[in-house]
Amino acid sequence: MKELLRKEMKLPTLIITYLFIGFSFMTMIPGYPILCGVFFVTLGLYHSYANAREAGDIIYSVLLPIAKRHVVKAKYLFVLFIEALSFILMLVLTLLRMTVFSNSSIYLQNALMTANFFYLSVVLIIFSLFNLVFVGGFFKTAYKMGFPFVVYCIVAFVVIGLAEALHHVPGLESLNTIGFENLGLQTALLVVGVLIFVILTTASYKKACVNFENTDL
Amino acid sequence: MNIVELTDVCKTYPSFRLEKVSFGLEKGKITGFIGRNGAGKTTTIKSMLNLIHTDCGQVSYFGLPLTENEEEIKQRIGYSTGTISWYPRKKIKEIVEVTRSFYPSWDESSYRKYLELFSLDENKKPIELSEGMKVKFNLLLSLSHSSEVLILDEPTSGLDPFSRDELLQLFLFLKERGVTIMFSTHITTDLERCADSIVYISKGRIRANCSKEDFINNYGKNGENLEQIFLRMEREANV
Repeated sequence: MKELLRKEMKLPTLIITYLFIGFSFMTMIPGYPILCGVFFVTLGLYHSYANAREAGDIIYSVLLPIAKRHVVKAKYLFVLFIEALSFILMLVLTLLRMTVFSNSSIYLQNALMTANFFYLSVVLIIFSLFNLVFVGGFFKTAYKMGFPFVVYCIVAFVVIGLAEALHHVPGLESLNTIGFENLGLQTALLVVGVLIFVILTTASYKKACVNFENTDL
Repeated sequence: MNIVELTDVCKTYPSFRLEKVSFGLEKGKITGFIGRNGAGKTTTIKSMLNLIHTDCGQVSYFGLPLTENEEEIKQRIGYSTGTISWYPRKKIKEIVEVTRSFYPSWDESSYRKYLELFSLDENKKPIELSEGMKVKFNLLLSLSHSSEVLILDEPTSGLDPFSRDELLQLFLFLKERGVTIMFSTHITTDLERCADSIVYISKGRIRANCSKEDFINNYGKNGENLEQIFLRMEREANV
């Protein structure tokens, strides 16, 4: 598996995928829908999938002395690797906003979503939707990626819109707390995000393995 | 002794059906797999590499069924095609560096030897190679991990006569070293030059499977050459 992950990093992946991890820094932009940064990270992954398809990566991989399901595993592991790096970066920046910058006026006056544990929870939900809708959708045919990506874009922006709107609903203001207020609720929301990520990604991976096994290349 | 065996392999597409394809590849021999465009050559080859899901039948290598021993078998076989080049914009050495990590049997001295023999430049990218050089690059990858069986899908397609001759000479060279080769083609002169056996497919069915001499003796009429025999058989199949 180490070799397959190395193959993913060295052959089909475009540098843009790594550069787009930098969009995690959007976590720090005040007065901006910061969840868009998550979408840009997944857009970087999409570019590498498109490149992989054009470069014959799937056929090359299947011809290697590995089982077909390992091709799927490698693709998912690489996506998880990029998502993990981005999430760690977003986590660090969120903690900075929750501590060092918690009294910064530029963040206090922010009408949009603030960076807190709820934000991180939604980050994980958007990543899990990418894994479910786009990556899982790609492995239905191993070449069609336009339709799954369009569906993912729609779903992702609906989630971003909802997450941005929720804290304006009376009674849900605590979703947008700055610093460590409402820590119990915030932590619970993060745990829910982690669970959704694990469940959706696992389900997507299992379905993708079955679909890919039955795909004619 | 057959080192590769296909038994009753079937595959149905909406507009095409591969019907109970059965044949074997003899160890250390060159088998030419001939048929017109759309006859089922590539579908058969894809079934031999587990790239498609067959509806019935079995493919086995070295006495082992492919589906249950895929990883082990793929360590010992190689595939090349004249129509696909992997990672066209990556340098050959980058592709090789990754590929070698999958093969414990990778032989660096063989790799260097064939690299020189094929006059390939490691710093070039597949997109910069001619069609013939692309086939050689794929062969280089297969030969460097000591493939015992080479499956080649139309390797001579699109090559100029000189490059084709060079490639056919290479097949004979590899055969002398005990490599089993199967190559698909629709060019009959390729078969005349180097094939020991012929498998002829038409409309998804194997019409002939025998040595080249037997094929000419059994199917030829009035001193016909291979091309004339195929043309006549193909016309008869279409009646």
